[in-house]
Amino acid sequence: MTAPPVPFALEAQGLTRTFGAGTGAVYALDGVDLGFPRGTFTAVMGPSGSGKSTFLSCAAGIDRPSGGRVLVAGTDVTDWDEDRRSRLRRERIGFVFQDFQLMPYLTAEQNVGLPPRLAGRRPDRARVRGLLDLVGLADRAHHLPGRLSGGQRQRVAIARALVTDPAVVLADEPTGALDSATARDVLALLRACVDELGQTVVMVTHDPVAAAYADAVVFLADGRVAGRIEAPTADAVAARAAHLDDRAAHLDERAVRR
Amino acid sequence: MSGMTGLALRSLRHRMTAQVATFLAVLLGTTLIGSFATLVETALALGPAAPDRDADRETLIIMGAVVGGWGSLIVLFSVASTVGLTAARRAGEIGLLRVLGATPRQARRLIRREALAVAVLGALAGAVLAAGTGWLLLDLLRGHSVSASVEYAAGPASLGAAAGLVVLTSVAAAAVAARRSTRAPAGVTLRDSDAETGRMRWYRVVAALVLIAYGVGGGVVTITVTANSDDPYAAMQTSGSCSILVGLGLALLAPLLLRWLAAPLAGLITGLGGQGAGYLAAYNARRRAHRLAAVLAPVIVLTSAAIGTLMLVSIDTRTLPGGTEDSDTINLLNNVVVGMASLFAAIMVVNAFAACVADRWAELRRLWLMGATPTQVRRSVMAEAGVVAVVGLVFGALGSLATVIPFSVARDEGVVPDAQLWIAPLVASVVVLLTLGSGRFAARATMRTALGEVRRPAT
Repeated sequence: MTAPPVPFALEAQGLTRTFGAGTGAVYALDGVDLGFPRGTFTAVMGPSGSGKSTFLSCAAGIDRPSGGRVLVAGTDVTDWDEDRRSRLRRERIGFVFQDFQLMPYLTAEQNVGLPPRLAGRRPDRARVRGLLDLVGLADRAHHLPGRLSGGQRQRVAIARALVTDPAVVLADEPTGALDSATARDVLALLRACVDELGQTVVMVTHDPVAAAYADAVVFLADGRVAGRIEAPTADAVAARAAHLDDRAAHLDERAVRR
Repeated sequence: MSGMTGLALRSLRHRMTAQVATFLAVLLGTTLIGSFATLVETALALGPAAPDRDADRETLIIMGAVVGGWGSLIVLFSVASTVGLTAARRAGEIGLLRVLGATPRQARRLIRREALAVAVLGALAGAVLAAGTGWLLLDLLRGHSVSASVEYAAGPASLGAAAGLVVLTSVAAAAVAARRSTRAPAGVTLRDSDAETGRMRWYRVVAALVLIAYGVGGGVVTITVTANSDDPYAAMQTSGSCSILVGLGLALLAPLLLRWLAAPLAGLITGLGGQGAGYLAAYNARRRAHRLAAVLAPVIVLTSAAIGTLMLVSIDTRTLPGGTEDSDTINLLNNVVVGMASLFAAIMVVNAFAACVADRWAELRRLWLMGATPTQVRRSVMAEAGVVAVVGLVFGALGSLATVIPFSVARDEGVVPDAQLWIAPLVASVVVLLTLGSGRFAARATMRTALGEVRRPAT
């Protein structure tokens, strides 16, 4: 620890999450060390059950890790209580989910303004409008989510994630529920958040094409970091992912035979 | 066919708790309606040799049919909405069944069969209880309103009719709910993302207007006709049920009332409920009025029936100090009606609130994910309870006037009764406590599911 500290937007140190106890305990995360430098776009990939969703939950303070530390913009948030975690989520972390998670009874504009509202502030109207404009939905500001398409809903969710100018944007399979053309738009938008706004984006995905939009891809397998590709291409990612899948299937088979 | 019945029974076993509310509503409903129905059967069975046969017969029939009739309205209303609520909560699951290849007809049959099974069980148990409570009711009347010699003579006819009525109502309500939940195309319905316009069906508006018109009409008849009658109870007969009728009518219009009033209340509550809780509640109440309306409806009926009937009894005891030989019984019966109406409405408020909030657990979790603290999430539900309580009190009080004003005028107290006006705020405070209490209960129960993952102790 003598090197000058890298400005990580999000950092996990020895992150562990177990479910159950004793001999039947399952390690969803088993000592994950990962740092996400400010202003980068990183994809997290891995076979089902590799721990990528648990990682995101722990990083966001949704789930409590069993061991290790989580640092958001250099601040250790691991032991924060529920109220401080809630504040962390609405002030310092932006969320994008596979199923959008918009409030059905609020308009696009009101959804984007929700995090500051929850913090007891009146949302900055110009900023909300600016973000809706950025995601190309300025003319849909007063629509309820039910009247928006899937891609439009996800773009509202991205604007909402950006509204508090968070330390890091966490995206959980953001294109999982979208067709490929719409998915490309959403990925380009996330890319633009990094390139133009200097945001940090961490995206869990299982789609090699989506991962290729990122600056780097981190692979998880069995709750551990299993590799990393810088400047990924879809083919390289797919090859590595297939390899990990094979290995996982192999391990499963062995487990069954035993 | 038998496949669906088997599925219905298995699914029933799986969701016992969800059906408890339906069972209780049917059980209590049958008991109450059945008790009054036995009076009618007893009256019809009076032998030609019985002393005072005609007078007793008339008294029993009036009490059974008229007093029982008002009560039945409330009971059937609450049974119908409880069954409807339980069935409507199955929308997601029905969507899944249809994805797996169940036809809309099969899905509807499943919901109807489930409701039928629960209703039959509840109604049978209720009918058995009613045989006892009916006898007790007759015993109360014997020696006061009817001859001591009148013998309890009710059996399967009245009890069966009461049970049948409740079962029919339940199945009809389930059928309506089933139809609604299968109207959409197959698919796991994304209920909370749907643009829910929540438009009211025309027959609902018509039914509401008829009930209100009937109630107000009764009031007008009281002032213009029965107020001048020699029988002091004639005015009570025409005005007594008006508050219940108008209350039921307004309850049917609940989604509309919420949509209108949530906007002005929005400002008020946003000012009070800090940190966005009131803001969320206001928009939820307005844009999804038809859901919260399930809670608002019983609050209106409860307020209207309770204030109306209690004021009626208060005016009556004041203006007829000595009373007639029937006074005790009539007051007793009035109190039974208030008690019955209040009990049912209270069950409905608690049940409807619990169902309405439980359905939204995913949405409450979403708020929490967005960074709302658990306290804020709970407060937003409480703010909704606040909106329901205020709107319910305003319209419930309005509905109660349909009884209070005509009867007060008929008994020469003028438009405003002379005393005991504190009944209204008393009822109001009970209603507020009940509404907020059930909101709190519902929020607590649902938050446990919604935030389940954090609550799990870290190992």
